[in-house]
Amino acid sequence: MSELVLETQKLDKVYKLGGRQVRALSDVNIQVKKGDFISIMGPSGCGKTTLLNMLGCLDKPTYGKVILDGVDVTKVPEKRLFKIRKYKVGFVFQTFNLMPYLNAIENVELPMEGTKKSGDEKRKRARELLKLVGLSEREEHRPHRLSAGEQQRVAIARALANNPSIVLADEPTGNLDSKTGYEIIRLLGKLNIDQGTTIVVVTHDSHKAAHASRMLFLSDGKILGKEKEGTHLLKKELICPHCGREIQPDDTFCPRCGKKL
Amino acid sequence: MAIMISIPAGTVANQEAAQRLTENYNTAITTTTTLIEVSASSGRGMFSSTPSGAPPSMPSAGFGQEEVFINEAVGDEIRTIEGVKDVVPFLEKSSDETTSETISTPRGSFSISRPLYTITGVCLNSMFISDYSILPTNITAGRKLLEGDSGVVLMSLNLSEYYGVGVEGEVKIYEEYFTVVGIYDSTAQGFMGARTVYMNITDAQTVTGQVGNVSRFDVYAEDVSYVDSIADVIKAAYSDLYVTTYEDRLANLQTALNNAESTLAQTQATATQEIVIAVVATSLIVLFVMLYTVRERTREIGILKAIGFSNWNIMSQFMLEGILISLIAGVVGVAIGSVGASFLSSVLLPHISLFSGSSGRFQPSFGSTNPGTIGSETTSVALSPELMLLAFGVAVLLGALGSLYPAWRASRTSPMEALRYE
Repeated sequence: MSELVLETQKLDKVYKLGGRQVRALSDVNIQVKKGDFISIMGPSGCGKTTLLNMLGCLDKPTYGKVILDGVDVTKVPEKRLFKIRKYKVGFVFQTFNLMPYLNAIENVELPMEGTKKSGDEKRKRARELLKLVGLSEREEHRPHRLSAGEQQRVAIARALANNPSIVLADEPTGNLDSKTGYEIIRLLGKLNIDQGTTIVVVTHDSHKAAHASRMLFLSDGKILGKEKEGTHLLKKELICPHCGREIQPDDTFCPRCGKKL
Repeated sequence: MAIMISIPAGTVANQEAAQRLTENYNTAITTTTTLIEVSASSGRGMFSSTPSGAPPSMPSAGFGQEEVFINEAVGDEIRTIEGVKDVVPFLEKSSDETTSETISTPRGSFSISRPLYTITGVCLNSMFISDYSILPTNITAGRKLLEGDSGVVLMSLNLSEYYGVGVEGEVKIYEEYFTVVGIYDSTAQGFMGARTVYMNITDAQTVTGQVGNVSRFDVYAEDVSYVDSIADVIKAAYSDLYVTTYEDRLANLQTALNNAESTLAQTQATATQEIVIAVVATSLIVLFVMLYTVRERTREIGILKAIGFSNWNIMSQFMLEGILISLIAGVVGVAIGSVGASFLSSVLLPHISLFSGSSGRFQPSFGSTNPGTIGSETTSVALSPELMLLAFGVAVLLGALGSLYPAWRASRTSPMEALRYE
């Protein structure tokens, strides 16, 4: 069994809204192994973002544990949490959240501020990452001169800057048209296969969720018992499920038999 | 910020003015203590003022006060008093001609009617000239008056400019023509000494129609110990004359100095008050601007925290921003301040005027020590490098102070809440 990167134990989150208690998460137990590409699916309001915020140390659970790389982050004091956010977690947001006054490469360098890397090292790393997401030509462009898809690619590159243990993506395709959305999902899949990046995506779009290797279902703050395997699993082996012949990680259709992967 | 900077400038200027005043007085006080002034009038009147626009109500002759004369024979009698060393007569009379001038002050404009010139007839005894400095010493052209001079005058620079005459030129004084033999610099003498024409006392008596009359005597005692007794004798014999000794003059000067000091203290209190208000206002402005900025950028703070910025990173960023803005404001403020400080000070700070109280009538000791100049001291602003540095320092300090709380608040923002913020 591969090592666990992330694990939650009996995760509960209760909000108080005007004297009324709202249970956003209830007894959530999930396990993410190294190299996993998991999608968490569910309708809006089911607690997907709340869960992701717990996983990314942006919020604390009411009960339960979040164990990231063997450390229970719910016990880490707020003062030191920034280190976990910086080095262990990479965030990708629905609205990209790039700094409008920084160009693409500066945005990617941003999480490396305050690390031991020199300016040259940061620039080199940022350049590598932009190449990885296919934006080598756009280094000097500011967000407003990039398309939505390109902005999300920059955001993904930024999430990878400090080589995190896990990338958490909150509806990464939510603000993109269908075609671009698939491109982003495929990019995440490619990173997962090529770089071995562990990825957790939350989405309400079942088609895109199906590209992950594992699909979890969240409903009313609870993880449903059934868990599905996504098509990504097949790609990981790089074999067409229909004809059994070799495929490439970013193929949508089998180049041999032409069937949808 | 600019106003804030110009106010300390004004305060410094006031301190300088106070220092100058004190120096003037000190020099004045150290002059002869053996002099007793005997005069027919209580002191030189200054001028009467009328609000701008109203016609000058002053009679053309006289200087706001009737000029009274003493028979010069009184001098001979005084000379016989025990302990009297010398009696020096003077005849002072203002011209019938007047000029009208407008003086702008922070309290409004005043129309002032003043005589075109004042004649001072002096006894041209060579010993008096050398020992008692009865004539101006700062001659800019020609020579001063000498014993035996007649039909000649020594006039002030601005008067010579007014008439357009130089040395050897002719000037008409009271219907008679005189030759100018010398011109003295009157610029340091301020308002009063500016238009005096010096001539032989007998010429003055003739031309003004006051033959046998003088306006005052300067009585010199053999020794300081005689001063009081001489003064008593004169007071007893001539009840209508005004007798002032060194002590009287000192008291007058002290009163004037006290007045000046209280004016300065008031000005400084006002300035201090204004500084405090400016400092508080500036801090509040920085505080609110930075609070607004923090609110505007809540989402950005959320993003930065989500990607691993520490509270300290965020706090220092906002602090730095506040300080930077204040620094830029400081540069702009000093720039505006250096241009506008003199203008602002003339509007904001009252002029220090000593036109009242003491007659300020001292045996004229010419040059910068003439008490007459005290009356014309005005506050001016000197923007020194130290002051600019201080203003800079204050600006940075206020920037830091004002952004402390907003920066702290920014650093405490919950990243999740911040990311949800629209």
